[in-house]
Amino acid sequence: MTAMIEVESLTKSYGSKRGIADVSFRVEEGDVFGFLGPNGAGKTTTIRLLMALLHADAGSARIAGLDCWKQSLEIKRLIGYMPGEPALDPDLTGGQILEYFAHLRGGVDQAYLKQLVERFELDTSRKFRQYSTGNKRKVVLIQAFMHRPRLLVLDEPTSGLDPLNQQEFDRMVKDARDEGRTVFLSSHVLSEVEKTCNRVGIIRDGTLVRIGDVAEVKAIKRYEITITFANVVPADSFKSLDGVLEVEALNHGQGVRLTMQGPADAVIKAAARHPVVSLTSYEPSLEDIFLRYYEGDGPRAAEAHHVA
Amino acid sequence: MSLSSVFLKTLRDYRIPILGWGIGMGLVVVSPMASVATLVTTPEARAQLASLAATFAWNADPVAVTTIGGYATFKIGVFIFLIVVWPILAASRMLRGEEDRGSLDLLLSLPRPRLRVALEKLAAMWTALLAMGLLIGLIVFAGGRQFGADFGLGDALLFGLDLALICAVFGGLSLLISQFTQERGPAAGATAGLLLIFIVLDMVHRIAPNSEWISRLSPIYYYNLSKALIPSYGVNPGAMLLLAVAAIGLGGIAVWLFNRRDVGGTVSLPRWLRLPERQASRVLPVGDWSLRSVYARSLSKIAMPTFWWTLGIAGFAGWMVYAVQLLETKMSTLLSGNAGFTQLIKNIGGGDASLNAGLLSAMFVFLPLFLMAFAVTQVIGWAADEQDGRLELVLATPQPRLSVLLGRFAALASATIAIAAITLLVCAGSAAASGLQLNGGNLAAAILGTIPLGLLVAGIGYLASGWLRSAADTGLLSFLLAFWFFVSFIGPELNLPDVTLRLSPFYYYGSPLLNGFQLASILGIIAVGTVALALGAVRFVRKDIGV
Repeated sequence: MTAMIEVESLTKSYGSKRGIADVSFRVEEGDVFGFLGPNGAGKTTTIRLLMALLHADAGSARIAGLDCWKQSLEIKRLIGYMPGEPALDPDLTGGQILEYFAHLRGGVDQAYLKQLVERFELDTSRKFRQYSTGNKRKVVLIQAFMHRPRLLVLDEPTSGLDPLNQQEFDRMVKDARDEGRTVFLSSHVLSEVEKTCNRVGIIRDGTLVRIGDVAEVKAIKRYEITITFANVVPADSFKSLDGVLEVEALNHGQGVRLTMQGPADAVIKAAARHPVVSLTSYEPSLEDIFLRYYEGDGPRAAEAHHVA
Repeated sequence: MSLSSVFLKTLRDYRIPILGWGIGMGLVVVSPMASVATLVTTPEARAQLASLAATFAWNADPVAVTTIGGYATFKIGVFIFLIVVWPILAASRMLRGEEDRGSLDLLLSLPRPRLRVALEKLAAMWTALLAMGLLIGLIVFAGGRQFGADFGLGDALLFGLDLALICAVFGGLSLLISQFTQERGPAAGATAGLLLIFIVLDMVHRIAPNSEWISRLSPIYYYNLSKALIPSYGVNPGAMLLLAVAAIGLGGIAVWLFNRRDVGGTVSLPRWLRLPERQASRVLPVGDWSLRSVYARSLSKIAMPTFWWTLGIAGFAGWMVYAVQLLETKMSTLLSGNAGFTQLIKNIGGGDASLNAGLLSAMFVFLPLFLMAFAVTQVIGWAADEQDGRLELVLATPQPRLSVLLGRFAALASATIAIAAITLLVCAGSAAASGLQLNGGNLAAAILGTIPLGLLVAGIGYLASGWLRSAADTGLLSFLLAFWFFVSFIGPELNLPDVTLRLSPFYYYGSPLLNGFQLASILGIIAVGTVALALGAVRFVRKDIGV
């Protein structure tokens, strides 16, 4: 396969503040690559280095074989970019912003642009300052897709989108993938990456700690199920079930909190044997997962061999 | 400590404006004091100064103009608009600006009454204005002592208080108007428009007889009733009280309205005053010329401010040309009985081009300053755009960084040239209409020669924004303007060495109305501006964006 993005020992610091250190990874053409990490891990720094908005202290980054800093103009012709915190001229309407960027970029099919506007049901007559957070992100998302780029670089693209528009976004990413285009998206939501991407890289404290297929991420994904029963149910009866990692008794034996990994089928079937008052499932944040999974330095060192 | 209440936090935000505007405005008032001594060396000169001032009575009341305090009061008459700019901007930001940014939502989510939050903010602005007034008063007193004025500390402080009160009135007005607008810009713009109207209303009674009732409609009329720097005239406590009541009333109504309306919304207007409901649309402005390039977009963005600055600068310059004609006619009448002035009388009345140029040259000193101030207001937007992340998406398109910067600069240069060109046309028209003879080439040199000065400031602004954030960039450019103005117009009075005077671009601008186009000097300014812009461009092409 051809590499669309090649990052080698990329390092960037902001004076005394940490940025990223010695980050290396490769994204193949046609991949949908999820770049996962808690807030402040270095995702945006990496993306801004790819976009030549920052100059690397050391290492190299190449897109489609071109150097990200030295050949940034050629690279930007290939890319559709969505920043994490979109800031645009507040006095322009959504329609004006899209037209302005269509002219700056060149080669935008107006019919396709109108189609995207319809697809996201964007009111193009409002000023950017008057848009809600979700509508602001729609404008920026449309401008990233409007020229059918070979590579989409999206920094936390679904943050602020409502569920319907998130679904629309998922469909657009799927369309892009079906057309053989490459998507590089950052997120701190594990389930989103799991749903959208085929490959994943995980960054923490400015260092890439894991990279691989999305299935590998499931190995670290944990979630919690809390069940409240009408009667006392022994918590130990859940301990040996498939997928259960930890069990905690609640409400004097009338409830359990289960830490899960993998399918919940066995737990649901076991719970169904008792009168259930309520059942809730909670997916912890990536920070929580990292706190647990990467406690201390041991696990990180143990995972180092996964880094490609 | 400074973050322990809304009042203290707001006051903390105002600390730089308090110092900047307080010191700056203090120096503006002090600067004319330096020249009085040289203007009134003989009884004849005194009489001439009084006569000259009388011809400019449309600007300010010529009371005791041969004294230091009187002359300073008279000279700053037209600068009232400069002093009032800050409260207009600050008050429009106070509630509406924070609503725009969304920061007020969080503040109002705290267990603190909305009325109290608004009152604390208003009180902070009033406190800041009083602090500025105090600073201005102290500087004016120090300046008065330096040049031998006859007013005391109390008089200087009352002068500062009068300024603070008129500022509070316009701040209150801006705050009130911002309750009816969705954004802060229109509120500030509408208040600035009202300020201009009030300035003109105040002038009316000095020009037209029996029209004092019209001027009484303007708060500036009541501000001008007090002349604390002229001890024989003193202050008018009733007028000052009226200004205080107006400030409290306007601010109070604004806060009351704010307390009753939706945050992020406006005060409900009667149905017949409301704009028609806007229909949602999916139309794209395909043919809009202003969206075709960075230059076109920048030009479109700068168009409205350019229009207002053109109106102000061209209007000022055109009026000055016309005023010279009025001045000479008046002098001709005053001196007609004096045998010693026979030759002079032959020359005045608009028929002597060199005399006209000499008089006009003294008034035109503000022209380059105004154009440079325009450049400052526009170039600081560049640093703000980078700081706020608005350049990020533009630079993510296949546009070279250099093109983006030069596109912005070219738009500013176009606007600067347009202002100067229109000003030249207005002045030529004004001279033709009033019958004032001027050397056309020198007039063109005087007005078009301001363009390189404006572009010099722009070049320095782009260079500084490579390292400085928006506020620091603004501070640096404002300081440079004030420093250059001080060096060039106060420096000679203070016998500053020639090497210091040469630090100011005004030195190289010279007196083109008298001496014509100084090619070497203008080329020098252009060269320095070009170097600054080139260094700024090199820095921008290499720097990390938004860091």
